[in-house]
Amino acid sequence: MTAPIELAGASRWYGNVVAVNDISFTVESGITGLLGPNGAGKSTILHMIAGFLAPSDGTVTIAGRPSRGDPEIYRSIGLVPERESVHPFLTGLQFVEANARMQGMDRTTAAEAARRAIGLVELEAAQDRAIGTYSKGMRQRAKVAAALVHDPPILLLDEPFNGMDPRQRLHMMDLLRRMAADGRTILFSSHILEEVERLAERVLVIVAGRLAASGDFREIRRLMTDRPHTFTVRSSDDRGLAAALLGTPTITGVGLDDGLLTVRTSDFGAFTRHIGGVARRAGISLYEVLPTDESLESVFSYLVRR
Amino acid sequence: MNGTVASITLRQLLSRRRVILLLLLAGVLILVAFVLRISLDDVYLENYAAQVLSLLGVATLMPLVALLFGTGAIGSELEDGTAVFLLAKPISRATIGLTKLVVAAGCSVVLTAVPMLAAGLIAAGHLDPGLAIAFAAASAVGAVIYTALFLALSLVTSRALVIGLGYVLIWEGVLAGLFAGTRTFSVREHTLAIADALTDAPPDVFAAQLDLTTALVVGGVVLVGATLLAIRRLVTIEIAGEAA
Repeated sequence: MTAPIELAGASRWYGNVVAVNDISFTVESGITGLLGPNGAGKSTILHMIAGFLAPSDGTVTIAGRPSRGDPEIYRSIGLVPERESVHPFLTGLQFVEANARMQGMDRTTAAEAARRAIGLVELEAAQDRAIGTYSKGMRQRAKVAAALVHDPPILLLDEPFNGMDPRQRLHMMDLLRRMAADGRTILFSSHILEEVERLAERVLVIVAGRLAASGDFREIRRLMTDRPHTFTVRSSDDRGLAAALLGTPTITGVGLDDGLLTVRTSDFGAFTRHIGGVARRAGISLYEVLPTDESLESVFSYLVRR
Repeated sequence: MNGTVASITLRQLLSRRRVILLLLLAGVLILVAFVLRISLDDVYLENYAAQVLSLLGVATLMPLVALLFGTGAIGSELEDGTAVFLLAKPISRATIGLTKLVVAAGCSVVLTAVPMLAAGLIAAGHLDPGLAIAFAAASAVGAVIYTALFLALSLVTSRALVIGLGYVLIWEGVLAGLFAGTRTFSVREHTLAIADALTDAPPDVFAAQLDLTTALVVGGVVLVGATLLAIRRLVTIEIAGEAA
């Protein structure tokens, strides 16, 4: 059976700039997260899948058919773009209905489908207001309603949670889970680890245009946490703690500069589990333990170097 | 043609700002026609009316109207990103292109031909209503060609407005006055040739500088060529997400 979405050796470059570099993966039904820092190429990948960009090399297929150059694929795709521009003069309901009509539904079916989609994203209260007056989160929900109005088996969402408040975020996640439970294939991009962690069953990590890791989220989480790491520590006796820590096997280095204790460890997880015990045995109280290098970019670049 | 695409395009094109701007332009033409009528003797009136319809109507109002509608039909949607919703639909790009063109050309025709007819009738309608009708009809044809040209231009470059204006002002405005050869490729001259053929006004009142056959053939080629180019561009167009 052909996978709903498949990239085989897909690359995309703009002049000399390589945006996506020789990526191969398949996306099956269920929720898959496309995780990576901003500018990693996630949008380029989604746009190639949606047929808006031609791969410079390799192939991108939807259910076995090339996604580029065939408007018929849009019957099976719902696309939620990242840009929030939506015709400001349409009301939410008109916008969703217009999308249904452009999918080829007749007036009655389209009206019905639009109402159902608006209900799914809980936008009924604002459906008769012009989109120009919507908040970012409402606009996002209108876009999602427009993308799923024709009940497509494949949903592509580019940074769908941007601009949503926590409650809307939870609701959207819940909606996507329900859509996935019905057997749909959902691929969404995000640069926020927690979003992907909470929603995705499978993860594709994209860094600098390459597929850095893929698979079950727990595996990737472990890869991300069990990596060399630097912490700064404040305690009642930094010097004493430094000496005590040097005796611990997972500590690779300790520094004391300007009264600031920095600790390098080969294993993030083990360090966070052990430091409490080490301090207690030495009779030192810990005030603060801060990872210095917790930016996603550094996590990702570690994955790439690995 | 796709009804939904057409109705969204129409609402997009008839934004309040664009309509007010174009009505002001049309108002200037009509106002000048009115001033001519009350200040000039009938002997000179027809001649001046033809001048005003050529210069303010065919050379100014018509290209500006077509420029705003032609570049606004798809170009602005591509710029602000709303085109994604339109293009991610099982509708052939030819249908999308033709629908957009028909709607934009229709808007151009209404906002060009109606003010031309009104201005012509106000200025010299009591002497020869034929002049107003000829100019209105010819400018309707010219507006369609211009709109197709500018719509295609907006799919080729993001600076369609500037380049289109440059074409109208420099190529048609300056060069066509200096070199006769450039007139063959001037929509303004095509329009004037058609107006000339439709009116029985004597040459001392109004005469075009291009013959009708050339105007019709070149105008037709431009119309068809621009339309095909626009559709071709819609098929091959690429939309990127993040700035790459």
